[in-house]
Amino acid sequence: MFNRGIRMLGVAAVAMSLIVSGCSGNTSTPAPASSGATPSQPGAAAYKDKLVIGSALGDPQGSWDPIDTFVVAWGMVASNIFDGLVDRGTDLKIKPGLATEWKYTDDKTLEFKLRQGVKFHNGEPFNADSVVFTFDRLLGPEGEKSPQRSNYTSIDKVVKVDDYTVDFKLKETDPVLITKLAGYGGMIVPPKYIKEVGDAAFDVKPVGTGPYKVTAYTKDSQVVLEAYPDYWGEKAKTKNVVVRFIPEDATRIAEFQTGAIDIMQTVPVAQVKSLESDTNYKVIKVGGPGATALRFDVSKAPVDKLEVRQAIAYAIDTQTIIDTILGGNAKRISSFQGDISFGNNPSQQPFAYDPAKAKDLITKAGATGAKLDLFFSSKSTASKEIGQAIASYLKAVGLEVVLNPVDPQALSSQLIPQAKAGQMHLFGWGGWTLDFDNTAFLLYTKGQMWNPSFNDPKTNELLVKERGTNDQKVREQAFQELTARLRETMPDVPLYQSMAVWGTSAKVDGFTAPPDDRMRLSSVVVGK
Amino acid sequence: MTRKRISLKRLVTNVPALIGLLLVLLAVGSAVFAAHLAPHDPVAAELRLRLDPPGWDPASKAKYLLGADAVGRDMLTRIIYGSRISLMIGIASTAISMVLGVTLGLLSGYFGGWIESIVMRVADVQLAFPFILLALVIMAIFGGGLTKLILILGLTGWVSYARLVRSQVLSVRELDFVQAARSLGAKDLGIIWRHILPNVISSVIVLSTLQVATNILTEAGLTFLGLGVDPSIPSWGGMLADGRNYITNAWWVATFPGFAIMLTVLGVNLLGDWLRDELDPQLRV
Repeated sequence: MFNRGIRMLGVAAVAMSLIVSGCSGNTSTPAPASSGATPSQPGAAAYKDKLVIGSALGDPQGSWDPIDTFVVAWGMVASNIFDGLVDRGTDLKIKPGLATEWKYTDDKTLEFKLRQGVKFHNGEPFNADSVVFTFDRLLGPEGEKSPQRSNYTSIDKVVKVDDYTVDFKLKETDPVLITKLAGYGGMIVPPKYIKEVGDAAFDVKPVGTGPYKVTAYTKDSQVVLEAYPDYWGEKAKTKNVVVRFIPEDATRIAEFQTGAIDIMQTVPVAQVKSLESDTNYKVIKVGGPGATALRFDVSKAPVDKLEVRQAIAYAIDTQTIIDTILGGNAKRISSFQGDISFGNNPSQQPFAYDPAKAKDLITKAGATGAKLDLFFSSKSTASKEIGQAIASYLKAVGLEVVLNPVDPQALSSQLIPQAKAGQMHLFGWGGWTLDFDNTAFLLYTKGQMWNPSFNDPKTNELLVKERGTNDQKVREQAFQELTARLRETMPDVPLYQSMAVWGTSAKVDGFTAPPDDRMRLSSVVVGK
Repeated sequence: MTRKRISLKRLVTNVPALIGLLLVLLAVGSAVFAAHLAPHDPVAAELRLRLDPPGWDPASKAKYLLGADAVGRDMLTRIIYGSRISLMIGIASTAISMVLGVTLGLLSGYFGGWIESIVMRVADVQLAFPFILLALVIMAIFGGGLTKLILILGLTGWVSYARLVRSQVLSVRELDFVQAARSLGAKDLGIIWRHILPNVISSVIVLSTLQVATNILTEAGLTFLGLGVDPSIPSWGGMLADGRNYITNAWWVATFPGFAIMLTVLGVNLLGDWLRDELDPQLRV
């Protein structure tokens, strides 16, 4: 799930509208290198054969297998290793990937024509069998524990028609299916290779059809990629790529400034100005679907009371947090999604900053002086500062906050799922499908991994309604009711949508900052 | 053996010792009177004053003497409150190690035999274990926090006291007045308490001052690594860690807590040096 990317806040955030972000992306992104100077041609000596990237998201929890993951840390690298049937690049538009065309032959059958002559990195041919294998694996016993599976449950089975044609038989309509096939779980994997080496070996030495293949991987340290010479599409221009996992802001910026890394994900807000004024670097800001919220575990006192949750929403001056801590690189939201997401209701207003009202509500609820635990990522400067600001705002209205900075991986994979993340936690969400369905289903229905305790029959009902049809009007109506309902029931306080801030050395050319953090490295070159 | 006496007269004429005393008094004073001295609330964040420069800078909006941190809190206030954490951890943990170490040192030095073997072997094992690793493991299992930090520092610091005291007891217990007390029928514990302890306590005091300083530094280091106290409690190590991100554009955030740590540790060390000179008969002219 692509989109389920949980990135614990992290970023300096923000989001302008798609249009604005498009502009800012374009103005600061260099034009692609002129064709006369690409490394594959004479004159290639002008470029280095190695590109080093500093990832702020860290290790993808030890596995490169698409069905094992849900984190954006995976997608930012693996989007260069694997391909799906369809592809969504940095412009967020769907285009053909391993399938060349597709159409609904009837209401519940989706037919794909596959690309011919494609080979996996190990030489194994790509064909209908690979597609059938991939989805049998995801939907069968193998994928039972997969965090990806719940996104693809509308598929009943995948049937081979001939070597280069497959039919997706659907159990129910799924309005977001095509987009989701460009997501993590829809990445096509090699049947023979997996059967030969086994799952554990595939986790650390993955094989796909993408422009780069993995040559070495050290957990929590780095992954080394090499250009795949037989790639079916645009071949990679830089031969070697090293992605280093450096979640600590201060360490990453130090490595960047000493020239040890060429492209840096998430420039801390404090450094943006000084990098922008230095001609050795480029700073690229891009708005995306990522959003951040203050989430509640509604089973724990005192946030089990609606009044207390409302009070917390009124007590926090989110706009000031955006203007100061986030350097203006973010935008307020009224539901847990960005404004380019289908299902967002632009006329719904976020909670106003009203400390007097907050104090009233807390007094009424009898919660004055209550102690609350707030969990957040210890690796991100922004989340640490936002945590402290929230503590101060809540103290002003009579609530004591205990700050718990924790390892972001522990937070997302253990503490939240086990309901051990106190009353509140700061939570980032990738929103990759650009459709509220995925976010709402995974965060607000009972039993989902990152929903500790929220359960509301009306919310469930609206989700069933929205999922059951391809009619976008009906869906939009359901989403409007849903966002209003979530504002009433308050499983979280939606804070802001994020803007990713990337830094590159001035010598880097051809890099487009990905709005969804899924980097595409084929066209990137580094000058000598 | 003669009792050594500390002379206040020698203290005021000794410039480094006097500086040390003043620095320590300054730190202790701000810890005790923090609520009265501090101009603002240490937790109240005024985001609009984020990274406001120190008061003498014309660009300063709030005229906070030492500027504001990344969420707009007054640096001076937080440094004053931070002295509480530093001193509390430094003194409390040292007290724990001192009581534990001196007791074990006295017992093993006086009685020898199996007590000595066990205590000294445990001490060796403990010394062989890297402190930071131990702290990391304990914090990872039980979580961080003020009390745990004090206990960890306290329970790992006893070794140097035990070794020091034991070696001194070995020579003191053979001295004539101890033998005399014993032949007059005094009980072992009475001898230890009345005759031996007073003769080793001066070195223990010197060691303690040095250890207070070390523990203040260790606390700052652990909090800097994110293993120490909760970030909502102002502590010098935590402030230093926060300031690291802003060292290029807001130097005051890391610099002032750094000075506070440096001056306090310097003060305690100067005082400790002087005490050692005072209490060591061989150095007395």
